[in-house]
Amino acid sequence: MRIGAYRLSVERAEAPSPARVALGALLAVALALLLASVLFWTPESGPWTAYRIAFGYAFANPSGLGATVHRAVYLLLCTLAFLIPLRGGLWNIGLPGQVYAGALAAFAVPFWAGARELGSGTAGGVALLSMPLAAALAGAALGALVGLLRAKLAVNEILVTMMLNSVMFWLVSDFIKEGGAFMSATAEGESFTLPEAFRPPLPLGLPPSAFLGLAAAVVVDFVFSRAAAGYRVRTFGLNPQAARYAGIDPVRVSLWVFVLGGAFSGLAGYHYFAAVPGLYKIPTNYGYYGDLSFYGIICALIARGSAVGAVPMALLFAGLSVGGRFAQGALRLPFGVDYAILGLLMTTFVFSHLVDRYRVVWRPTAPAPTSAPPRPEGAR
Amino acid sequence: MNELLARSLEASTVFLLAALGELVNQRSGILNVGLEGLMLFGGTAAFLVAQSTGSYPAGLAAGIAVGGLLGWVHGLFSIRLRGDQVVSGMGLWILSFGLTTYLGSPHTGPLGLPRFPALLGLSPFVYFGILLVVAVWFVLSRTSLGLAIRSVGESPAAAAASGVNVAGIRYLCVVFGGTLAGLAGAAYTLSYNPVWNYNFLMGWGFVSLALVFFSMWNPWVLLGGSVLFGAMWQLSLSPEYVLPGVLSRYVWRTVPFGVTIAILTVISTPWFRTRWGLAKPQALGVPYAD
Repeated sequence: MRIGAYRLSVERAEAPSPARVALGALLAVALALLLASVLFWTPESGPWTAYRIAFGYAFANPSGLGATVHRAVYLLLCTLAFLIPLRGGLWNIGLPGQVYAGALAAFAVPFWAGARELGSGTAGGVALLSMPLAAALAGAALGALVGLLRAKLAVNEILVTMMLNSVMFWLVSDFIKEGGAFMSATAEGESFTLPEAFRPPLPLGLPPSAFLGLAAAVVVDFVFSRAAAGYRVRTFGLNPQAARYAGIDPVRVSLWVFVLGGAFSGLAGYHYFAAVPGLYKIPTNYGYYGDLSFYGIICALIARGSAVGAVPMALLFAGLSVGGRFAQGALRLPFGVDYAILGLLMTTFVFSHLVDRYRVVWRPTAPAPTSAPPRPEGAR
Repeated sequence: MNELLARSLEASTVFLLAALGELVNQRSGILNVGLEGLMLFGGTAAFLVAQSTGSYPAGLAAGIAVGGLLGWVHGLFSIRLRGDQVVSGMGLWILSFGLTTYLGSPHTGPLGLPRFPALLGLSPFVYFGILLVVAVWFVLSRTSLGLAIRSVGESPAAAAASGVNVAGIRYLCVVFGGTLAGLAGAAYTLSYNPVWNYNFLMGWGFVSLALVFFSMWNPWVLLGGSVLFGAMWQLSLSPEYVLPGVLSRYVWRTVPFGVTIAILTVISTPWFRTRWGLAKPQALGVPYAD
């Protein structure tokens, strides 16, 4: 397009600068919030009121802030579960299934200890440690299956993880409904409540899984930027063919990124169902918590694969979902505001992906020739 | 038992319609992992429009139009902007999952219209699906358009060199795939299970996507696979017909998904690949720059 003496064009940017990448991420979030304001528009109140209510509850109300922080930890663990395979070029969208596996494994510990029947059991440090460990192992086992199928037979990991999500969703129902092994003695459709002895300590009001998640984010970034293992995963993710030539074992990389990813998802399942005050059970609407794990995908994508960069994202999106649901009730908005924001964020991420890849270029147009150039001698 | 058979065929048709569109999509080299999202949006649009207008044709048209539009959006990102097809597909899926929950929630519940008209005891979608299989097979294997579609899916550069409009063919296929995904969603919410619920598909789109791989990109094998999966799906909902009292109904619900993983594994083994061959389009998922 020509504007005056300049020509405006959109060109492909082969290597976007870090500043452009950061700008793209910020634009994605800002645009999603702008679009979400349409959802918050009611005849009685504008979007500003809704955002004030949502963010006020999520970050200024003590009860809301607690919920936001716990959810942020959950989202951070889910983010790590998605991000590690992503750096290896693989998509782990089996977060809900691995979260459910972790929750079931965590509840299996007090169940086997007989705490379900007692209502309150005695648990030592070993039992308390066993719960997150069992959760991480269960998630890792599910991840290992995906990783092995991908690595050995090139089975599409997106399809396998989605199938496993559905398998695990129904298995949780089997455990907590219609006389299932973990069903509460007093309420149909939810698990038994975790006895106090099996609830983790809360230093600074947070369960140990919160500190583990934060530490893991730092370690993951360090490994990807400084360690040989991270280099191998990144190389495999960027160019599997070149990685093979360089002697990187594709089976080992695919397996381990999924094992680690699954372990973090399993831990997220432990965190939300067994370590967050006020819940301590697998509730009837456990599917909602599974769906929330998809926010981890958005966090990782918008943070462009940086685990530490995903921490503020996780906090923001946790606040948005907690506050959005509160505003939904306060303003009598339709159910699903948090789901809609999730969708909008994903769309704006795809948009920001384009901002990374393309750039708008202004160039002065060449002055038009005033007369025909002289012909070289001898030319016909 | 007749009722079970009819319901199985209707379920098969939903799988078939979505998978057939995706098959054409993939034969042209474009992968849309967001198939479930297109079905969710198409189904929700069809449900909302049919409920508000009281007209099935209007609902169907809305489902098809929304599916086609989203197919085009995927095409724009994948073909024109040469973006990562998985990113675009996942984006469409999560967008659909989120927005349909918000838009459809106030309408949770039954459609509230008389039952979708049946033809000889079966949903008309069943007959339409079979006709469509014949049509797609004919076009893909017996016409110059089919040759163009297959060639852009195998080697877009060679196709372009021989005068085929690669982008045009791919757009045609993604829009066709989108309309069929929208139609599949509409067949689900208007005929197979006319009750709106949040995330009502819960994996149907991903099973359909798996069926395309299972079919080895052949419409006839796809028809057989859809019938098999439709029957299996229906049996997982009503296990009392085959094994009454064995395992809980929740465990039965996991069967179609477990079988899908098993089939995907078998068709990916070297033994299967060398014995049966996989007609996977060579340029599937690879952006093409002309």
